[in-house]
Amino acid sequence: MARYGMALDYKNCINCKACEVACKEENGVELGAEKHRIWVGGNNPEGQWPLLDIASAAFLPSQCQHCDDAPCEEVCPTHATYYDENGVVRVNADKCILCSYCMNACPYDARYVDDRTMTVDKCTFCSDTRLARGETTTACQNTCPTKVRTFGDLDDPESEISELLRTREHFSLKSHLGTNPKLFYLT
Amino acid sequence: MNFIKKIIPMKDFTLKSLMTFEKTPLNLLMFFITVGLLGAFGWGVVEYLMHSHHAYNVTREHPWGLLIAMYIFFVVSSTGLCIVGSLGDVFGFKDYMAMSKRAIFGSIVTILAGFAVIAFEIGHPVTMLIYNVLSPGLTSAIWWMGTLYGLYLTFMIIEFIFLMRNDMKNARIFGLTGLLVGLAAHSNLGGVFGFLNARIISNGVFYPTYFILTAFITGIYLIYLMYGFRYKMQIPDDIKKGLLGLAKIQALLLAILMFFETWKFLTAIYGGMPGRADTAEHILHSGAFLYGEVLCGMVIPFVIMLATKWQSIKLYVFTSFIGMIGIFFMRYDLVHDTQLKPLQMMKTVEYQLPPEWVEYFPSAAEIAIGFGGIGIFFMLYYFGQKMFDLEGGAH
Ligand code: SF4
Ligand code: SF4
Repeated sequence: MARYGMALDYKNCINCKACEVACKEENGVELGAEKHRIWVGGNNPEGQWPLLDIASAAFLPSQCQHCDDAPCEEVCPTHATYYDENGVVRVNADKCILCSYCMNACPYDARYVDDRTMTVDKCTFCSDTRLARGETTTACQNTCPTKVRTFGDLDDPESEISELLRTREHFSLKSHLGTNPKLFYLT
Repeated sequence: MNFIKKIIPMKDFTLKSLMTFEKTPLNLLMFFITVGLLGAFGWGVVEYLMHSHHAYNVTREHPWGLLIAMYIFFVVSSTGLCIVGSLGDVFGFKDYMAMSKRAIFGSIVTILAGFAVIAFEIGHPVTMLIYNVLSPGLTSAIWWMGTLYGLYLTFMIIEFIFLMRNDMKNARIFGLTGLLVGLAAHSNLGGVFGFLNARIISNGVFYPTYFILTAFITGIYLIYLMYGFRYKMQIPDDIKKGLLGLAKIQALLLAILMFFETWKFLTAIYGGMPGRADTAEHILHSGAFLYGEVLCGMVIPFVIMLATKWQSIKLYVFTSFIGMIGIFFMRYDLVHDTQLKPLQMMKTVEYQLPPEWVEYFPSAAEIAIGFGGIGIFFMLYYFGQKMFDLEGGAH
């Protein structure tokens, strides 16, 4: 079985939000700014006009980090949140009781309530959609015009993501919390 | 009915006697308050059934709201009354024997009110009952809290039955077990917050211990209110001695609580860790904390008890009313403050500038259901008084 992760070459991000749209379309995520599995945040440039520090104005795509030690999984009282065989953190809507504990426990703000099922949802690396159909890319990766995202098997030394992580410097978010995210930001 | 009476001794009552009460101004006031609160609860539930969580003001950033706070308010009250009730029948302190029945009964009805409120917060309570058993999340503090509270309620009911049968030996056994399970459940409720690595202001061992301490304080406030109302301030001697003793304990507990809180803020602010220090400072500037929690919940009651040298029951009944307002704010602030700090990652902007602090104010439906829970408590307590002889205690 695979251990899926994603590398983000975030400095290439141009904030076109194509990935957000593709994700909503692919996975049937409801419309609205509050309902999103993935998002592109940003930082305003630092400094005073005309001395703006352009490099500080990065765009920062993010989503569920698919933590190896996921706080959301640990706190779920009914095991609705679980690791699937590919290490992807998933939510079983039939078991979710909407206690919202996982929303409070996730340090990455990665979960939202799906108003139709009234259960918690989040990024699944397209496990129910594209991967289930046998495809090997996620919708966000597939649509990104500047190739910010690389999705793949971290355990396969030949995979593109393994190659990237071997050759490029990278970091993960809030690593001090010990959640061991499987999302890697390339510097 | 006779069958039930064989299990648990009851007074003789009819539907009519249940519905009639002496029409004193105080009783009438309580009647209208209770009916009003029950009406609000009913309206809130209908609102919830029609719009589910959309009837609430909880959001992605602030998923827990007033209903969680009210649930905590009730279960803390229950644990508190259980502790107070145990003083006599479990630990054998003579001065408190006469209070056991009323306190244990109170602990049962407060937790039922808590369950009534939480049933409309958890999105799928029936699913919870099923999958709590079929696929238990043993690493989840919510799982332990829920399971242990269920057990606790069972033990409290059994203890109450033995108390009513004047079977003190068994009441003691189940009382002690219930107390231990209740304390475990209650510290687990503190753990629900304590385990949140993502919310450093709540993370740590503080809440599990703080919950037990404030439960005892809440129990004492409530027992004052219950007896103040029961005897219209003309408290009989056997109860008086116990109540005066409780005032001394209360002053001591409040002193410990203030000490706890002081250190919590000192350690939170010292070192300036982001997410902890800034949140703590923000809390220190909030009116709900300063006036609600600190002034009503701790300082005013403490000063009154100190100034009157633990001798003025009437005053303590009024003090307890103020104290319970403080306790409400303690619960509300606990829930709200945990979620105050946005979980920003590297970004500072997303669609629009995120607020520096996450705002929340409960919706009408949340207020109706949350405070309506108090109506449920009043109603159950009223019927209990009519059905059971809550006077006298262990002998
Ligand atoms: S990012 Fe949040 S939702 Fe995703 S696995 Fe980690 S803790 Fe869970
Ligand atoms: S909201 Fe659902 S997925 Fe999240 S902890 Fe509760 S039951 Fe588990």
